[in-house]
Amino acid sequence: MLLLDIKNLTIELETADGLIRAVDKVSLSLREGETRGLVGESGSGKSLIAKAIVGVLNSRWRVTADRFHWLGQDLLRLSPEQRRKIIGRDIAMIYQEPSRSLDPTAIIREQLEEAIPDNLLSGPWWRRSANRQKKAIGLLHKVGVREHQRVMQSYPYQLSEGICQKVMIAMAIAKNPKLLIADEPTTALESTTQAQLFRLLASFNQLKGMAVLLISHELESVARYTQKLSVLYCGQLVEAGETSQLLQAPLHPYTDALIKSVPEFQPDLAAKTPLYALPGSIPTLQHVPIGCRLGPRCPNARKECVKTPALERQQNHYFSCHFPLTTKGRR
Amino acid sequence: MSRYLLRRLYLMAFVFLALSLFAFSLGYLFPGDVIQNLSGLRQIDDEQRQQLINYYQLDQNYLQQYLAFLSRIAQGNWGLSFASQQPLLQEIKLLLPATLELTAYALLLSFILGIPLGIVAAFKPHSLIGKSISALAIAGYSLPIFWWGLLLIMLFSLALGWLPSAGRLGVLYEIPHSSGFMLVDILQADVKYRSEAFHNALRHLLLPTIVLATFPTTVMIRFVRDAMLNVWEQNYIKTAQAKGLSRGQVLYRHGLRNALLPVIRQIGLQFSTLITLAMLTEVIFSWPGIGRWLIDSIYQRNYPAIQAGLLVISTMVITINMLTEILHALFNPLARRG
Repeated sequence: MLLLDIKNLTIELETADGLIRAVDKVSLSLREGETRGLVGESGSGKSLIAKAIVGVLNSRWRVTADRFHWLGQDLLRLSPEQRRKIIGRDIAMIYQEPSRSLDPTAIIREQLEEAIPDNLLSGPWWRRSANRQKKAIGLLHKVGVREHQRVMQSYPYQLSEGICQKVMIAMAIAKNPKLLIADEPTTALESTTQAQLFRLLASFNQLKGMAVLLISHELESVARYTQKLSVLYCGQLVEAGETSQLLQAPLHPYTDALIKSVPEFQPDLAAKTPLYALPGSIPTLQHVPIGCRLGPRCPNARKECVKTPALERQQNHYFSCHFPLTTKGRR
Repeated sequence: MSRYLLRRLYLMAFVFLALSLFAFSLGYLFPGDVIQNLSGLRQIDDEQRQQLINYYQLDQNYLQQYLAFLSRIAQGNWGLSFASQQPLLQEIKLLLPATLELTAYALLLSFILGIPLGIVAAFKPHSLIGKSISALAIAGYSLPIFWWGLLLIMLFSLALGWLPSAGRLGVLYEIPHSSGFMLVDILQADVKYRSEAFHNALRHLLLPTIVLATFPTTVMIRFVRDAMLNVWEQNYIKTAQAKGLSRGQVLYRHGLRNALLPVIRQIGLQFSTLITLAMLTEVIFSWPGIGRWLIDSIYQRNYPAIQAGLLVISTMVITINMLTEILHALFNPLARRG
């Protein structure tokens, strides 16, 4: 069943110099129990999309879409109150900097307990608070925090980033969400903790059937833990499909360049040869090229590229390029 | 927390040391005779002069004199006022509660008005209400307080005749002095006209309180508004919203505590300004407080009184500052960190 179905999502910012289109007609869909990665460089609009789904964008941003469905309901047509109710029930999100996402003046116990919705607590009302505490401790154990006594009484600044992120995950899974959005959950963490967290997310996906939208700029870790992948460049969706298929046979030059830039995907690269990279750098959002935004940096660009390519489909593989790479002559 | 307290007290000791040194040196820096400045006596004959030199240890070195000064302050022997030839400490004890009373009510009023208005202005920054609150805050902030006080007197006392323009209580009422705080004294007094006197005291309080509260209220509005706008952008508010809490819950559980923390500190910082404004207000409304007394003393070149007033007011400002710092640390776990 389709959980999230977004078509042509556009996010714009009104500034003194006119509208800046930070996200340009991106389509995204998620099935129940699916893990999808959303990859792109910083500034490609990944976080904006996540925030637009959860509805915590500033009022300065203007969000439009042809379709913005959650379980068949168009979120953009609902009132903010109704929308908050649905999202509060079904979607949870964790952020890049866990220690800043926790209220610095409240102890973990307070913050964790308020994340547990009332309808998940059983028993008469006078047992509620005891049950709530028991459930909070259980949640901490689930995310692999053993010393719950100390952590519950701590303020966020007294804990490491890794523990904070685990607390964030505990808060996120408290309401048994259908979808967990993880916005670069591991950027602030050490590499051993990173692996732990990814495994944790994967286990919740497998045990509870919770869909995960994993947002990151690290292609290799996203590729390892997701079934589907969407690649963004400069606010445009360049390619989407099954992760394995996409890595083996990318159709878009940007995806190709992205894969070639990761040493782990290049086992037969000789020592001391430079990694492949596209010329130039990402344009600022005020000066994006018209048409395909990759245009000026693309090795295959031709005259036609000044028109935005439509999203095309080859079986389960979507791409938006006038001149896709062919699978012929590749490894 | 105890380490934090110790460190604060340690710092405070240095501030008081500097303050006492300054107050001590004033006796020598003021023009005129040192013995007159120290004792407050106007006519001194030779025999008395010798006695006073011995008493103030003026024949000893400065360190001895300073220590003698400290022990006199501690014993409550602060000298006499040039103007009234009364002991200074006695005068201050009578006057200080009046100032404290006025300042406390003004601060209270500024909380009651400033915090909700600031929150409303933060939540509706682009609406008519939000903009008019901000405009009002700017206008109040830049209003010269003596002019504003005189305007109110002209309107409510002279033109309309609704409120008295001077003093703390009508001359008809005789209230025995106990704590010095007028409203408390009236409630404790055993007189027949208690409720009338209370009503009269409130009418006297109203105008000075409004005038004195204008500045702190506008500061509070602007500060609460900015702090709230800032806090509302933070990630933990987004987390709380994503948890599915309603706007009111987010505001109450996460917004208010974080936004009001810097406000506590602001009270301490604004207190010295408030005392200065209280002096002006007291002059305008003939309020028998320490501010008006100090300004009169300055006009009369009443050096012992200036010295004593400086000591008392500075001690008060420093203490309030310290108390708000400690309160701030008590509510803010981040400040306690070290």
